[in-house]
Amino acid sequence: MADVSTNSPRLILTDTNFRLWLPLFWIGLIAAAALFAPLIAPQDPLAQDLMMERLPPFFMEGSAPGYWLGTDSLGRDVLSRIIYGARIALFVSLIAATTTGIFGSALGLIAGYYGGWADRVISRLVDIWMAFPPVLFAVLLVAVMGTGLGSVIAAIALIDWTRFARVIRAETMVQARMDYVDSARIGGARRAATLVSEILPNVMPSIIALLMLEMGIAVIVEAILSFVNLSISSDDPTWGSMIAEGRGAIHFAWWVLLFPLIALFMTVLSFSTLGEGLKQHFDPVLK
Amino acid sequence: MTMTTAHAHTLDIINLNIALPRGQRLLRNVSLQLEPGEVRALVGESGAGKSMIGKAVLGILPHRIKRTEGEILLEGAHLNVMTPATRRNTVAKMSALIPQDPLTALNPVRKIGPQITDPLTRIHGWSHQRALARARELLDRVHIRAPDRVMHSYPHELSGGMRQRILIAAAFAPSPRLIVADEPTTALDVTVQKQILRLIRELQRETGTAVLFVTHDMGVVAKISQKVTVLFAGRVIEDAATRTVFENPAHPYTQALIAATPTPNVSAEPFQPVPAALITELHRETLAADALYAQRGRR
Amino acid sequence: MLLKTVFVRLLTTVITLFGVAVVVFVLVRVAPGNPIAMMLPPGATEKDIAALNAVYGFDKSLAEQFIIWLGGVLHGDFGTSITLRQPVAELVLGRLPATLELSSVALLLALALGGCVAVIGARKRGTGTEVGLDLTSGAVLSVPDFLWGLIFVLVFGVLWPVLSISGRVDPRIDIDFTTNFYIFEGLLRGRLDVVGSTLSHMLMPAMSLALPLAAMIAQLLKQNLKEALTQDYTTLARVRGFSETAVILREALRNAALPTLALVGVQFTFLIGGTVIVERLFAFEGLGNMAIDAVINRDLPLIQGIVLLFAALFTVINLLVDLSYTFLNPRLRHG
Repeated sequence: MADVSTNSPRLILTDTNFRLWLPLFWIGLIAAAALFAPLIAPQDPLAQDLMMERLPPFFMEGSAPGYWLGTDSLGRDVLSRIIYGARIALFVSLIAATTTGIFGSALGLIAGYYGGWADRVISRLVDIWMAFPPVLFAVLLVAVMGTGLGSVIAAIALIDWTRFARVIRAETMVQARMDYVDSARIGGARRAATLVSEILPNVMPSIIALLMLEMGIAVIVEAILSFVNLSISSDDPTWGSMIAEGRGAIHFAWWVLLFPLIALFMTVLSFSTLGEGLKQHFDPVLK
Repeated sequence: MTMTTAHAHTLDIINLNIALPRGQRLLRNVSLQLEPGEVRALVGESGAGKSMIGKAVLGILPHRIKRTEGEILLEGAHLNVMTPATRRNTVAKMSALIPQDPLTALNPVRKIGPQITDPLTRIHGWSHQRALARARELLDRVHIRAPDRVMHSYPHELSGGMRQRILIAAAFAPSPRLIVADEPTTALDVTVQKQILRLIRELQRETGTAVLFVTHDMGVVAKISQKVTVLFAGRVIEDAATRTVFENPAHPYTQALIAATPTPNVSAEPFQPVPAALITELHRETLAADALYAQRGRR
Repeated sequence: MLLKTVFVRLLTTVITLFGVAVVVFVLVRVAPGNPIAMMLPPGATEKDIAALNAVYGFDKSLAEQFIIWLGGVLHGDFGTSITLRQPVAELVLGRLPATLELSSVALLLALALGGCVAVIGARKRGTGTEVGLDLTSGAVLSVPDFLWGLIFVLVFGVLWPVLSISGRVDPRIDIDFTTNFYIFEGLLRGRLDVVGSTLSHMLMPAMSLALPLAAMIAQLLKQNLKEALTQDYTTLARVRGFSETAVILREALRNAALPTLALVGVQFTFLIGGTVIVERLFAFEGLGNMAIDAVINRDLPLIQGIVLLFAALFTVINLLVDLSYTFLNPRLRHG
């Protein structure tokens, strides 16, 4: 990445803006929408009204007041569904990412710190896991566990823990070689304590950066799962199910696909940018 | 319109000034001429600017160099007024470089053969057979046994001395009018150094190539050059025939440099560094020259 | 010595595949929902269900079922699909060419696009162009293939419908090929209408898969190119008369390509994984699409066969990438 700071001062501002403030702004917006959905949403997201079906958004001919982004094939307000969809998106991504992070980091710490057969077993496990196509695996897991919020979260955690495990294992190995760990290491019981008190804080920045990235991934996976109708039950509005619907109705009601897509796009982009930015910020190797 | 003037000199550098973006000069009014087939040493301590002169001629100055003034004529061609493409072409056809570090100057993932023949076929327009023949001829000339095997080898399979000899062969292959040798013996051990110097001298005489030889070692100067230019802080301190400079150095700095060079044949002498007072005096002169230069620039 | 490395890798590959087989086997059989029950009409008796169960071997213990299945696999028999009533091996191999063609085209697009952007970025290093390209590739990288697919569906389905957004080929064309490699065999037979239709249908799904990888290649390759361009041999090339672009392509690229290719190899497997959802999105009749249907319908034998094939594909590709890296690096070749 070009070192922008040596160029014109204007560019510095823009670079940080793009990488930090813009994503935070969007996520804040989404979070607000999720929290205050009942207050903000203009319509009931579940209310069907066949008289109002397939109305276009406000800037086009034939739109109805109060239905800002149009309606879908069952007359439900797109904007309201997007706002309520934000709830599920954020909730799922937060819980799923955290679960994945805890699970993956724990395994990574153990593998990197204790080495030996623990490392071998975990590494072999990672290899096997990474031989699965992620999306297919997620679909498979949800099919196995049945649909529902818990299944979705578990599925995400089960497919992507390897991301955390690999990175944290590598970092742990680096940290474990350093002097301060050697001096603290005496017996078996002591070793566990060192892991938590000394190494964990040092790998925490990487964990947080990965967490941001993972939230973006979780949002996508949930969207994909609801796209193939394997997420939570079909009543509650999710961006993925809206997109699935929109895909089918694309030739006569393209707005049903466009707006949830934009919401999804911006959210994923924001999490990714934040995650990448944090990763670069904390990585001493780069530059 | 031709950019050349009928000229007797192979290389003509007139009042060359090179400065960093903030204005600090790296070369201060450097002028020198090179006759055809002449070997001129550029000598000075680190940072004296001797490498910069060679780089300026070849057009490979570092990107941070922002301001260049003065004229450079290569066989009468005014390099400084050409477009970058023309200049690159002219320099390529008439000159060559023998670099300092033979390890990094060869592409590690390409075989030796193409590294020598590519410029000959692509830039000089030779046929493939002619280029191959010339490559073999020169590899033989630089005492490399089994030239065909070497041409099919990769750089990491060869020794440092061998690599430098390959680079010398590559430099002389198109029979250039000028070669810039940028401290080519510094990265080599002493026994190999002598061979390399002799090789360069012999080849240069055979092809009639003028050589600008950059070095910090007065011993090397004595062995290889006919003329020598002594540099300090980017300024030319002394410029004369090598023999004259060694027998009767005009400038005290030159004397000091010669004295500081260890000579193996003479009995152990106390190490004589360049006197501090002399350095201070030279710095004063440099600053004065800079002030004058800045004044002229403002008018 | 090289042989030993290959042997060891093959061994670990087999172990990994075995692990995958076990995991899949256990997973699908733990699933709620009885596929047999779904197959029979309502009003079927217990006896009917039991009979069908026996046919598919579901009445035996887990371990027994696994051994039977494994035995079959070693003979090339992957069982019969519950929903499609055909041998799994046939079904899977029938759809495999479509996915392979899609993935290969996507990979080529990614290499071409990413390579060009990297070379341009290196050529224009230090200028605003490079910064612009960096920002763009950063943004493109953050958007997963699924989203790109949706964007393309919107743009080319609604806004500017020049390309079709579903299917693998125009259904009106009569294709009587021996293999399912439409592009490959189409070219061999000179059936350019088939090739053209396949490519135009494939363009968008392939681009969806290619873009994130292209961005990754652009960033990494440019980084490696810039490093190579600081080396002395590039300076020498410039003195010898080669233009900056020529120096990049002739000298720097070979050095920069090796580490880039190592990454591309790994990412290629992720790209293939992405075909699962992208094929679904574009109704592309490939392996991924079939896989989703299989999962939704709890078609256990088919699920096993597909997942195992994907896993095998991934491990084979990883092996090939490692081997070719060793082969292409002159230092490793002789070491």
